[in-house]
Amino acid sequence: MALCEAEKTFVLHGVEENFRVDGREREDYRPIELETNIVSHAFGSARLRLANTDVLVAVKIEVDVPYPERPKEGKLEFFVDCSANATPDFEGRGGEDLAIEISNSLSAAYKSPEVFDLTKLCILKGHKCWKIFVDILLLECGGNLYDAVSIAVKAALWDTRIPLVKSVTVDGNNVDMEVSDELHDCQKLDVTAAPIMVTVCKIGEQCIVDPNVAEELCSVGAVVIAVSKDKFSTVLQIGSGSLHPQTLLECLQMGEKVAQRLSEALTETLSEINPNKNQDVGFLK
Amino acid sequence: MPVDHKRINGPEISIPYQLFDKLNTKSLKTQFSEIVQPNGTRADGRTSTEHRKIFLKTGVVSQAKGSAYIELDQTKVIVSVFDPREIPNKTDYSSKGEIYCEFKFAPFSCHKRRLHQQDAEEQQFSAIMKQALESAVFRHEFPNFQVDIYAMVLHNDGAALSAAITAAGVALAHAGIPMYDLITSVTLAVQGNHLLVDPTLEEERLCQVPLFKEEENNHGIVVLSVLATHEQISQFYQSGYLSYACLSSGIEMLTNAAKDIVTLVKKCLVKHVIKSVRIVED
Repeated sequence: MALCEAEKTFVLHGVEENFRVDGREREDYRPIELETNIVSHAFGSARLRLANTDVLVAVKIEVDVPYPERPKEGKLEFFVDCSANATPDFEGRGGEDLAIEISNSLSAAYKSPEVFDLTKLCILKGHKCWKIFVDILLLECGGNLYDAVSIAVKAALWDTRIPLVKSVTVDGNNVDMEVSDELHDCQKLDVTAAPIMVTVCKIGEQCIVDPNVAEELCSVGAVVIAVSKDKFSTVLQIGSGSLHPQTLLECLQMGEKVAQRLSEALTETLSEINPNKNQDVGFLK
Repeated sequence: MPVDHKRINGPEISIPYQLFDKLNTKSLKTQFSEIVQPNGTRADGRTSTEHRKIFLKTGVVSQAKGSAYIELDQTKVIVSVFDPREIPNKTDYSSKGEIYCEFKFAPFSCHKRRLHQQDAEEQQFSAIMKQALESAVFRHEFPNFQVDIYAMVLHNDGAALSAAITAAGVALAHAGIPMYDLITSVTLAVQGNHLLVDPTLEEERLCQVPLFKEEENNHGIVVLSVLATHEQISQFYQSGYLSYACLSSGIEMLTNAAKDIVTLVKKCLVKHVIKSVRIVED
């Protein structure tokens, strides 16, 4: 997508007036659709649609050996796949840089034990642990990928069920474990502190959240802010611009405020999802 | 991932022997209280806001257009910048030049042996470096061309990324790439109420996890790069778990610390200019 100067000015003036091109205010999000538990082979999954951005996240779990330096912890890894379906730019290795950037920012955001407790994934100290693979598939890019991905990941982790381990037996160097046969005997992950990322974009003199593709092109710089509870778990600058320290602080404040609101809305939505009710609608079903 | 079979790699799974060290059984909290006093004095006698002594030199790689070597006490990084060349495998015209950064830890630079291939951390550091340098360079001066910047960490004793960014700024200036401003970068490690400017590897390690209860569970690493005369932050990265109050005071501390280095960077460049003028005179 390319914008001419006149179009850029139009977007800029809209932001200045607090009335953006699509009628939103500066701190408003576009409508979000969220579905969970849609991939039957996965232990947990979620699909999120934020206007034109479409993300599918699936969680797979395997048994692995913990890192020798952290024997009491499980593992959590993120993989992003930029499908060429999303935009022709991703064809071949085109989306690789973006994929690495998103997966690295997610691993950084989930790194602190205050955010996500990996010790819960330990089965037997130093020998066996659960390894969680979070696979993120970008199906369509309509701007604001970080936010969409972080919400979808949180929802997918919320949906994840870890099989219950009934017993672990150690025989010399052999470790055997018995997993419960009962399909519904499983644990849920604690995702209350899982971070929500908010991209704050600077356009002209003002900051906005949830930029669409046109607004992303007009911005001079953007900050991705991952907020967990009331603290920042990761902050990183993206785009090629630089920011004044004061602007950075304003962005942080705005990001925190919006992330709190978003997190509340997500918790509310997730609590409304009832597995017993027959809600089979939409995508992949 | 393709693997280079000509290189002799170490065994696939190996464990650094330090993990079995009997002295290593102390709790992280005790280790932290041993290296940082309650008043902020650190193991090497620095106060919490004090930067390590910096050694900076230009022109260390004769083959490169520009190069710089930086030492922050034990941390040693070498950066080289090569002539702009056409962007490889590119079909459409880009009106702005590109910057390509490659950040690499030497295999012997850390406790654990690093592989020759870039791992996720190094790729992330490369991206951060690119982010930092992009806004410092006149990219419209070399459209459709790319400048290659290679940073090699010879010894990692904390704040290697900051050292690489500062040195890359000097190397770019040395290479004669037009720039808006000199770029300097500083790292901050946070643990509870302690904010430690320019942490050593040990301090960085102890700031990865919260050691104190509730209220004081702030912890993390902040890296910030500044274009001093324009008062702009060209790159900002934080990981861990920090409150707004802590982060904002950290940003202020880092901006000031980064400004202090500028004099040193200027001195180093002036020295280089004087030297080259003398050579011309002779």
